[in-house]
Amino acid sequence: MFHVEHVFNIMAENKRNNYDIIVIGGGHAGIEASYISNKMGMNVALITMNKNTIGAPSCNPSIGGTAKGHLVKEIDALGGIMPRIADDAGIQFKILNISKGPAVWSPRAQIDKDLYPVVALNYLLKEEKLTIIEETIDELLLVSGRVAGVVLKSGETIHSKAVIITAGTFLRGVMWTGLESNKGGRFGEPSADKLSIQLKDAGFQLDRLKTGTPPRVHKDSIDYTKLKLHPGDDKPAPFSIHTESVINQVMCYATDTNLQVHSILQEGFEASPMFTGLIGGTGPRYCPSIEDKVNRFSDKSSHKIVLEPEGLNTDSVYVNGFSTSLPKETQLKGLHKIKGLENSEIIRFGYAIEYDFFNPYQLKLTLETKNIEGLYYAGQINGTSGYEEAAAQGLMAGINAALQIRNSEPFILKRNEAYIGVMIDDLVNKEHQEPYRVFTSLAEYRLLLRVDNVYDRLSEYAFKFGTINLETYEHLRLKRDYRELAILHSKNTKLKPAAVNPYLSEIGESEIIDTSDVYSLTKRGPVKLSELLKFVENNELFDNIKLDEELINNIQIDIKYEGYIQRQLKEVDYFLQNENKVIPENFDYGKLQSLSTEALNKLSKIRPGSLGQASRIQGISATDISILSLFLRGG
Amino acid sequence: MNMSKTIAALATPPGSSGIAVIRISGPEAVNIADVHFAGRKSLAEAASHTIHYGKFIANGAIVDTITASIFLAPNSYTGENVVEISSHGSIVVYEEILRNLLSSGASMAKPGEFTERAFLNGKMDLIQAEAVADLISSVSIFSEHASARQVSGEFTSRIKEFKQRLIDIASLLELELDFAEEDLEFISQQKIKQDIELNYDFIQSLIDSYQASQITRSGYYVALVGFPNTGKSTLFNSLLKRERAIVSHIPGTTRDYLEEFLYLNGIPVKLFDTAGLRDSDDIIEIEGIKLVNSILNQANMICILNDASVSENLSNNLYNKLSKEYSSKKIIIVQNKMDLYTGNDLPEDQIKISAKFGNDLTSLTAFIESEARKSTERINDILLNQRQYLILQDVKSLLMNSISSIDDEMDNSFIAFDIRNAIRKLGEFTGEIYSEDILNNIFTKFCIGK
Repeated sequence: MFHVEHVFNIMAENKRNNYDIIVIGGGHAGIEASYISNKMGMNVALITMNKNTIGAPSCNPSIGGTAKGHLVKEIDALGGIMPRIADDAGIQFKILNISKGPAVWSPRAQIDKDLYPVVALNYLLKEEKLTIIEETIDELLLVSGRVAGVVLKSGETIHSKAVIITAGTFLRGVMWTGLESNKGGRFGEPSADKLSIQLKDAGFQLDRLKTGTPPRVHKDSIDYTKLKLHPGDDKPAPFSIHTESVINQVMCYATDTNLQVHSILQEGFEASPMFTGLIGGTGPRYCPSIEDKVNRFSDKSSHKIVLEPEGLNTDSVYVNGFSTSLPKETQLKGLHKIKGLENSEIIRFGYAIEYDFFNPYQLKLTLETKNIEGLYYAGQINGTSGYEEAAAQGLMAGINAALQIRNSEPFILKRNEAYIGVMIDDLVNKEHQEPYRVFTSLAEYRLLLRVDNVYDRLSEYAFKFGTINLETYEHLRLKRDYRELAILHSKNTKLKPAAVNPYLSEIGESEIIDTSDVYSLTKRGPVKLSELLKFVENNELFDNIKLDEELINNIQIDIKYEGYIQRQLKEVDYFLQNENKVIPENFDYGKLQSLSTEALNKLSKIRPGSLGQASRIQGISATDISILSLFLRGG
Repeated sequence: MNMSKTIAALATPPGSSGIAVIRISGPEAVNIADVHFAGRKSLAEAASHTIHYGKFIANGAIVDTITASIFLAPNSYTGENVVEISSHGSIVVYEEILRNLLSSGASMAKPGEFTERAFLNGKMDLIQAEAVADLISSVSIFSEHASARQVSGEFTSRIKEFKQRLIDIASLLELELDFAEEDLEFISQQKIKQDIELNYDFIQSLIDSYQASQITRSGYYVALVGFPNTGKSTLFNSLLKRERAIVSHIPGTTRDYLEEFLYLNGIPVKLFDTAGLRDSDDIIEIEGIKLVNSILNQANMICILNDASVSENLSNNLYNKLSKEYSSKKIIIVQNKMDLYTGNDLPEDQIKISAKFGNDLTSLTAFIESEARKSTERINDILLNQRQYLILQDVKSLLMNSISSIDDEMDNSFIAFDIRNAIRKLGEFTGEIYSEDILNNIFTKFCIGK
């Protein structure tokens, strides 16, 4: 009858059915929510169908990328676990956009898909107050508008003060390959229909989205001689400050589609669930399927394909850029026209999955639901796509559930503080017709939300919550202090023409006539601070940090882009003016007769906490906000 | 803000005048007016958009004979029930009427509250409300036309087009930043630079037209300066044809400054009489001289008055000094006291007058008028207010920044930074994006009763 498995710590019988927090679902959001709340001293139960698929990467074999890499670093700064799992399971590491400005440098790693869940599970098993239970949830236990626990399929009841649902694609998931469909979340796993129905009955608005995945081919069936190399960085860097070092263990390869491929795919359109309207959910514009790309960008004669090994001990290679739900024979025929894949053998065909999500306007910025206290939603269930987006939400839901139990102030990151803040604010305030993923363009204060300053931005919070220890915190604070001091020192440190001119002429810069300070020399386009410091003598601070390549690079960023950063900081001041105009929680929008009907509905539904938040709600005009503002001023 | 209240205020300028209009707006407007109205029938029975002759009664006594105009919701300026009472324009009368309306249940309207209600009731959008504010403070026929154009909304469409061009550029920049993995260049930096430079000229022309529009809005500013006792106040008075400045022969009589409007064939000219320029131990006069600098900063034209009877070259150094300091302004020397002048080597191109006897004053006024007309020629179909002007100044410097980022070979994220800001600023300009500044600009600029 009972299938509650005590994987690591044997709980005393009387405590078994009583926890602070229950996390439903062992995906990336679930891992993060249970890990972080446990770090904050909570007794946590993580309920999943199968502990061995915890954190199983169901789509791409990679973590990070443009803007997503920022999220991973933010998770690290706040004390989360994804960065460490990715480092341990990573097999190729690369910083993207390195030729562009520092605001868009984004770390990315290929991961071993078999190793990732093993590493994830091991991290969770090390936590003392975290229990993993292999079960399916039938329903939530609700007591007077508050969540009080869950009822398992076995009939057993588990009590808790908070529940975090991170059920991902398992809610009424349907998978499509061509016109064939299967019920299920991830390939070969059942979906949780009953919970989905209960939540719908509780008044939550469900909508439908779809996402897709490309085929996997056998590694030995690829003709590597025809492909371009796609290597990792020469000096691979880990995501986490807790990871000493990482190494590149695999090579990826690049190829392209061509017109022949496109015309084959077009023949299969009539058997595509998307084109025939069988899939009602909306698909992502930004991570489009190959049929979408061919259809929408019909003037382009080729699209980039990257072949990414799914692990060290697997034959499976992920065909990145070829996400599809076309019929099997079309997928195969199309792939065979791609250079290097002429004889490829498909191990698993691409498929689309359609699933329910809860429209996140029903959430507070803490990710707690508005109508059931103590109930939190995190991850794909909120309509996001991507492991990183899911993990970041799990982290925030976990922290906020723990803070609520501790009776502490909620933790809301503002748009000027973190990509996490941008994402959650967008989720709650915007309408979603397609899965949400982060982009750097979504961040108004992109120049401030960089990877290089992520610990300066967030480690104070982490230390306050107890999710990083004193040693880590002091280490980070020391670096931040060095960074600030180094700017002053660079202004006061002079270099003589004789010393520095050979370097300047070598890089094509005009030579100096009088002595010049390190600061103004660093500001020049191609000048490297690390090179200048070679000419600096007897400066204790620079002597101390000279060898810390990363720190020197960060100081160089501070100096080179100081003007831009200062201007962006001014904008933040302006932005915060409206963020700080609080709208009382029980504000009666009904008395603002002059509001448009749409604004009245949306404001009453979303209940923004500030004038600034109200102004970002989609469909609310400047006129509506002005009306609100006049009322808030008291006329 | 309580729109269930009925508000009242004087709608015409305060002070004595031919008639005074007291405006009442709100659900109880008609009932409150009825308490004091004695006519052929009660106002409650009156149809909308009708005018009624009667008497305003307070405590059984007649205060004045009045007309009451009725506008019923929603077809009124504020969108509420409105009554406008026209009385005789004596301060005693309209204050008595207003006091009685307040004691019968109306509340005193705050500055701009009528227009605020019009906005809140959807009678006008913010840009229109702003234009109303501009209209009220406008002083010439020119700007009434321009403000009316703003009210019609035609005005924002050009800015919106411009904004759209910037959005197109920004989208391409963002695509490239967010889809780096695709190795695509969607737009070259040089192309962006070209596009921005094209738009930059457009912005510059708007900024230029603001300078010109300032004149139609507030008048062409002419400052009379000169050494003491050159006859500045006498000229000031002669031009205004009345004794406004205190005139005496003791140098340094004008200790503060005086300003008055003068209409030259419909062109508003604001004339400033200033304290004489000199070093003085008299403390009060030094204060006055400091003020002169602030006037010269605002002035479009600086008119240096020279006492020709002392020497025709007396003010030449002053002219050179001012020309250097205020190089963007029109600066002229006017030779005064020609009735006492005996020499004959005055430059041809200088204006020569006798302020005291009014000789040849038309040569001066004609010159001022032609200069004022010249400087309004740059006005195109758009008139800006100061808020909009300041936004455009910001936009201009943001565009300049983005061009210098391109020249410095900075990455797209830096170029996008300035362009995105410019887009936001333009959204605030058109009212598409909420900005506190619009509200402040509108509802603090109004006087009570509008």
